[in-house]
Amino acid sequence: MRARLPRAAGWTALAALGLLPALLPHPFVLTLATQAAIWALLAASWDLLSGYTGQISFGHAGFFAVGAYAAAAATKHAGLSPWLGLPFGAAVAGGLGILAGFPALRLRGHYLALVTLGLAEIIRLVAQNWLELTGGPFGIHDFASYPGLPAGPLALRRARYVVTLGVAAAAVVAMAVVCTRTAAGRAFRAIREDDVLAASLGVNTTAYKLLAFGLSAAFGGLAGTLYAYDVQLVSPSVASAATTSLVIGMAVFGGLGTIWGPALGALLLFAVGEALRFAGVVYNLIAVGLVIMVFVIFLPRGLAGLARGR
Amino acid sequence: MLVVEGVRAGYGRLEILQGVSLTVEPGALVGLIGPNGAGKSTLLKTVFGYLRPGAGQILFEGRPVTGLRPDQARRRGLGYVAQDGGLFAEMTVHDNLVLGGYVLPSRRAVRAAIEAALERFPVLRDRRRQVAGSLSGGEQRILALARALVTRPRLLLVDEPSAALAPGMIDRVYDALVALHRTGLALLIVEQNVEAILGVAGRVFVLDLGRNAFDGTPAELRGSDRVRRLYLGEAVA
Amino acid sequence: MLESLLEFAIQGVVLGGLYALFAVGLSLIFGVLDVINIAHGEFFALGGYLAFAGIVLLRWPAGAGVVAAAIGTGLLGLAVHPLLLGPLRRRLGRRPAGPLYLVLTLGLSTFLQSTLLLAAGGEYLRVPPHVRGVLDLGVTAVAYQRLLVLGAAVLALAALFAFLAHHRQGLAIRAVAQNPDAAQAMGIPLGRVHTLTVALGVGLAGLGGALMAPLFNVYPAVGFPLTIKAFAIVIVGGMGNLAGALLASFVVSLAEAFSVMAIPSEWQNLIAFVVMIAVLLLRPQGLLGRAVVR
Repeated sequence: MRARLPRAAGWTALAALGLLPALLPHPFVLTLATQAAIWALLAASWDLLSGYTGQISFGHAGFFAVGAYAAAAATKHAGLSPWLGLPFGAAVAGGLGILAGFPALRLRGHYLALVTLGLAEIIRLVAQNWLELTGGPFGIHDFASYPGLPAGPLALRRARYVVTLGVAAAAVVAMAVVCTRTAAGRAFRAIREDDVLAASLGVNTTAYKLLAFGLSAAFGGLAGTLYAYDVQLVSPSVASAATTSLVIGMAVFGGLGTIWGPALGALLLFAVGEALRFAGVVYNLIAVGLVIMVFVIFLPRGLAGLARGR
Repeated sequence: MLVVEGVRAGYGRLEILQGVSLTVEPGALVGLIGPNGAGKSTLLKTVFGYLRPGAGQILFEGRPVTGLRPDQARRRGLGYVAQDGGLFAEMTVHDNLVLGGYVLPSRRAVRAAIEAALERFPVLRDRRRQVAGSLSGGEQRILALARALVTRPRLLLVDEPSAALAPGMIDRVYDALVALHRTGLALLIVEQNVEAILGVAGRVFVLDLGRNAFDGTPAELRGSDRVRRLYLGEAVA
Repeated sequence: MLESLLEFAIQGVVLGGLYALFAVGLSLIFGVLDVINIAHGEFFALGGYLAFAGIVLLRWPAGAGVVAAAIGTGLLGLAVHPLLLGPLRRRLGRRPAGPLYLVLTLGLSTFLQSTLLLAAGGEYLRVPPHVRGVLDLGVTAVAYQRLLVLGAAVLALAALFAFLAHHRQGLAIRAVAQNPDAAQAMGIPLGRVHTLTVALGVGLAGLGGALMAPLFNVYPAVGFPLTIKAFAIVIVGGMGNLAGALLASFVVSLAEAFSVMAIPSEWQNLIAFVVMIAVLLLRPQGLLGRAVVR
């Protein structure tokens, strides 16, 4: 069911939140806002595969990590410019996504979720143990970030925020356009509804499932590269299941299968979480867990569903 | 004993029963027939609680049972035998019978009830330790009936007992049903095989497209030209 | 050479006992409720914490502490279905659940882990060995603590299998796993069976946590790596198949133990996933097939 008003409202809310730090250019706010933008992109990229196309993946942290590590390693060891590192990391993650999509073609539901969880865990273990490639438990650090940005701590911080926000926003919009205005998007929806039926109606479900995996992984990897160049440290913990867990929580909160919903959910949940963090690091994860459970039971369509009147 | 009044029910937005009524007198053997899709099985499932009716009410022994869960309906004295027998295919015949006695108060009562069931259906005695799924179709149907007997419901709902059975097996299954009936058990039997049910039922209800189309004795059913044309024609399959 | 082999074999078997406690409980819950409990590891951790509370804080004897921890975890597990799984099932009705149960247990996992962190702090708590001393086998020696883990695991699982095979409620659980509609027709209340099953499954995990507390130490996230590995084991054995989970636990643990001969030990943890992927590609129904809880 198309609902133009809630969708427009959702995009407006996203835009407003994106511009908020322009009004409050405090470095701390900017740092948080940068991270929030990265989470929003990550959540939206997960939604493209799992919510929109219905291929439940519990291993998204893996693509995030691959993008981050690929970009960091390329910049550190091969001197690749971070501007090129962004698409490079995304491409590596996207390629891995397509590879992961092949075995996933045969799996459904529980199996798919568990296998993707296992794949992410493999990535994390590789990151933790392959010293030469990934720096082991200490990860990769000491690599350059975007060249050509203004110097001076606040100006640099703001510039980085603008870059991250710009790339993330463009990516989310791109995903939304693909999903809502292209044949691929129609195929994704058909696959989610009933992929056997879709195949019998002539939709090339194999190709489109692989495409969904590839796009989702690429944009997740892009989030990873943005993370790498912002924090300038990549360690195995980025591939942890906690990352996937947070992303899924944000997506459920915002509304599965809408692209903008998870992005908005990520921004809001992140903001709430960080605000709670002042009371103690521990509380915000408790809140996230509660939010996930309450929403799944009572509001499975998330905020997007609320906007549509459930 | 069983009074169904104006029941509407279905699956999600698909309404199958559009205001159906039916009665079963104590100790009676009642048949429920009609074309495919008429809602016969749906009605049984609604009476037993697998489906909630959207409207109407169902009374059993004077008390409302509308909206009860199936396990609650069981404890009220209703029994149900699914179309495929509803057996636990990976458990032995013995364990299936033990489960039949789930609501009985003691192990001794269960043992006694199983003994009684095996008395009545001796073909199962040899197969006691066999896995239920390895029995033949007819034996499985007999096991389902034997299991239903273990807890002595007062009204047994049976969904298409003759489905997918060879004619010889159908006779044996109906012999078993009649034997059960003679112990005082009331039966409401849904059937595609009209001849089989008309031979034993005291009363027959006909459903068509979710509504009542006829009710009366088998003789009255055969006597009505209109009904014969519409429904008995189907039976000669 | 023989000593090493024997040592690896013992290590593998002991670890297999632990994996089995974990994986069988997980498979049981899946087989009966069709739900994958992502929070299973948190009940393992909880078992460890309860054991710590009993043995270190209350100074109970080790045996009492372990038993109390297992029972305590099981009792808390009784709340999971009525509070979370049941309401979701009721709201879904006949609609397909999609990822919702997975997300629900994921939320529970996050919630439990952070609550443990809040309540008990993040440091590694130490629990002294339940039994001290070492069994001398000539060629090698095994700590009694490890033998205890194996022995207790075997006993608990044997008790579970006996319960499922002979006890009225055990049969009811199997009935619900095989044919919920027919089970209801027997008068078996689904909700109560689901509640009991979850409690049993997480109780086993809690027992594992209490037994392993001296070896693993106790901290909030101690269970999660096991959870993920247990998913791989359950898939290898055949989802919902308890005997399969049991078998796969030992297959994986022995593979891990012997792998040290060929690959560096940090890569041990990968083995379970590699085996899982191989099984999924070659024999997706698992070693013993997706039979129901037998």
